[in-house]
Amino acid sequence: MKSILLISWKEIRQRVLNRSFVLSLILGPIFILTCVYLLVKAADEGKKNVHVLIADPGDILQGVISSKEDPNVQYSFVSDYLEIDEFSMGKPYQDYDALLEVNEKVLNNKKVFIFYRDYLSNRVQNSIRFTFERRIEEVLIEEFSDLTVDAFRQLKQPLNLDFRSIMNPTNSDEGEAGWVGYFFGSIIILFTLFYGMSILRGVAREKANRVVEVMVSIVSPPQLMMGKIIGVGAAALLQLVVSLVLILCGLYFFQEFLFSDFFLNQSLSGAQVSEGANELLQNEFQRVRNNEVIHLLYDRINLTLMLPFFFLFFLISYFFYGAFFSLIGAAMGSEGDGQVLILPLVLLLLFSLFAGYFMVLNPSSDFSSICQYIPFTAPMAVMVKLSMGYAMGEGYLLWISFLILLLSTFLILWIAGKVFKSSLLSFGHRLSLKSLFRWRNRT
Amino acid sequence: MIEISHVSKSFRRKSALNNVSLNIPKGKITGLLGPNGAGKTTLIRLMNLMYFPDDGFLKFNGQLLKKDHLKNIGYLPEERGLYPDFSVREQLTFFAKLRGLSNAEAESSANYWIEKLEMKAWSNKDVESLSKGMAQKVQFAVAVVHDPEFLILDEPLTGFDPINIDLIKNLLFEFRDAGKTILLSTHNMQRVQDMCSHIILLNKGEVVSASSISDLFKGYVSNHFVVRYKGTGIAFANALWTDFELVNQLELTDGITEARLLKRGEKSVDDLIKNLQGHVSIEAVHMEQPDMDDIFISLLEKMENE
Repeated sequence: MKSILLISWKEIRQRVLNRSFVLSLILGPIFILTCVYLLVKAADEGKKNVHVLIADPGDILQGVISSKEDPNVQYSFVSDYLEIDEFSMGKPYQDYDALLEVNEKVLNNKKVFIFYRDYLSNRVQNSIRFTFERRIEEVLIEEFSDLTVDAFRQLKQPLNLDFRSIMNPTNSDEGEAGWVGYFFGSIIILFTLFYGMSILRGVAREKANRVVEVMVSIVSPPQLMMGKIIGVGAAALLQLVVSLVLILCGLYFFQEFLFSDFFLNQSLSGAQVSEGANELLQNEFQRVRNNEVIHLLYDRINLTLMLPFFFLFFLISYFFYGAFFSLIGAAMGSEGDGQVLILPLVLLLLFSLFAGYFMVLNPSSDFSSICQYIPFTAPMAVMVKLSMGYAMGEGYLLWISFLILLLSTFLILWIAGKVFKSSLLSFGHRLSLKSLFRWRNRT
Repeated sequence: MIEISHVSKSFRRKSALNNVSLNIPKGKITGLLGPNGAGKTTLIRLMNLMYFPDDGFLKFNGQLLKKDHLKNIGYLPEERGLYPDFSVREQLTFFAKLRGLSNAEAESSANYWIEKLEMKAWSNKDVESLSKGMAQKVQFAVAVVHDPEFLILDEPLTGFDPINIDLIKNLLFEFRDAGKTILLSTHNMQRVQDMCSHIILLNKGEVVSASSISDLFKGYVSNHFVVRYKGTGIAFANALWTDFELVNQLELTDGITEARLLKRGEKSVDDLIKNLQGHVSIEAVHMEQPDMDDIFISLLEKMENE
């Protein structure tokens, strides 16, 4: 055990003291946080304060529209027809960002155009659409009904037959949650691939510079293999933990300082709409105001549930694939050899990514169920499944996946140990699948 | 020290060692000789537990060789291998700890060998930045850093300059005098003759000879004599008669000539002296010793003929 720890420590040291490791430790989280920032900004792109001119020659809206629901969108009225060219070029209209054209037949044909100068963000578009629809609704009620606005809206409210999982009674969006699981699964796959290749290159390099002969004169080949896998894995875990901490700190910083207005908007909007509006409208309005990325990042990730299983499956998955990578490294005749066997392994990892994608889109398919029990795809499948929620009484399926993966990992480590032992001192040959089987049978 | 008994080892259908039995005596330097493919590397790897025998067994100090014994064995492989991104000091402490030394012992031993092998000036440099000779020294230090009882050295002097060859040779003699056992695998016969008291000769996976050097030489008496004389060449040649054949001769200084003769039949040095007396003035005469190359080739030829 002491030898394994010494070899592991050497592997950790070799990696951690490497300049590229330190760089990736810092640049990785910065890259991810930059992506998050850009995604949030992209989802909220366009001008923040928008001034909309409503051309209402028929005076249908009677110069009234509720602008208090979104302080970022201001409305002004003009009671004449306004040509697009005039709006576009005319000096008095240069301060307006969009022209909303209310034709006289709008109450019948329900057709309205809005012409914008610069593209309006989805949030602004939704806000304008929502505000305008509500005002038209009020006009229609006044014109064609004796009902009060509140009574009409009460009647208009459609029957809401909401299908909810008993594991998810708050009806958080499963598809959206699935992407969170997919994100965690992808992290497992990418780290496994990256550090698996690191094991392979490490073993191949030690074979090439022949230090392996000195090593196996001191420790047994399976000890050397385990030391390598544990050491490289510890470096991977270190990078993962540091990255996660940095990313979480970054997200907290974003929440407090960069995206603070989003969070402010969420609370404000609820308070404003609650005056006289029903729950459905309130929710709808809130959804319009929310930024989807913010929502996904800050509300949808159940870290207390995901993180423990993420680390558990990350570790086992790493050992499972790491054993494959180490045995290929040991069996390689030269440093450039072994591509023929690396490719299928990389394809299996990529297949896992595809399986996760498919599972998010088709969570109830047979394929999704099977993927949980295949060791190659289990880490990704379990992450996706876990984020979407297991059905009541089916939580044990997670532990079945875990057990299958764990037993497969022990089996593959045992086989890899045998191949490692027999092939480590073979040099200068061409690696083939046949030679792997031959080594497996040699003691 | 090391007892190898009826050991056989095959790789697939190819036999690398066939029923090998021999002893490596304690406190001696034993030379391991053999042509390429003779089974030397396989034998060395068996002694390091890198391979396990198909048949037979190996004993270390009377006990069956097992993993625990490895901390008492030092190994210098022919193909040198070190961690290129480790400094000399890191390299030594890492391998010392791996061999079972505590942190303090490893540090202290590393310091000792850095001093002893005159590596202090570059002990903090990475191995990849060292010259071949410097790296050889580090490799040697790695093999001995844990103060092993038994040293297996495969071509230990290759790559060293004459000064460092002397340094390492003297160290090996020190080890021997301290009671350590050394197995020296080399193709350099002169080195074996200079350094070893025993030899093991392998060929095609079998032991051709395993004995002390003196016993080996006893069985190989030379047919050649070397004579130094003063006088004329014609007189010298006439004096030989048909008992000795002149192989070659070389004029030295002060009128002295050195001649190499091949004896015919059962002739002795006395016979030669009798023949020459009265014809030339004899300065020196001795029987030429066979060298290791001759014995090596002769033994292999003998085995091939059998």
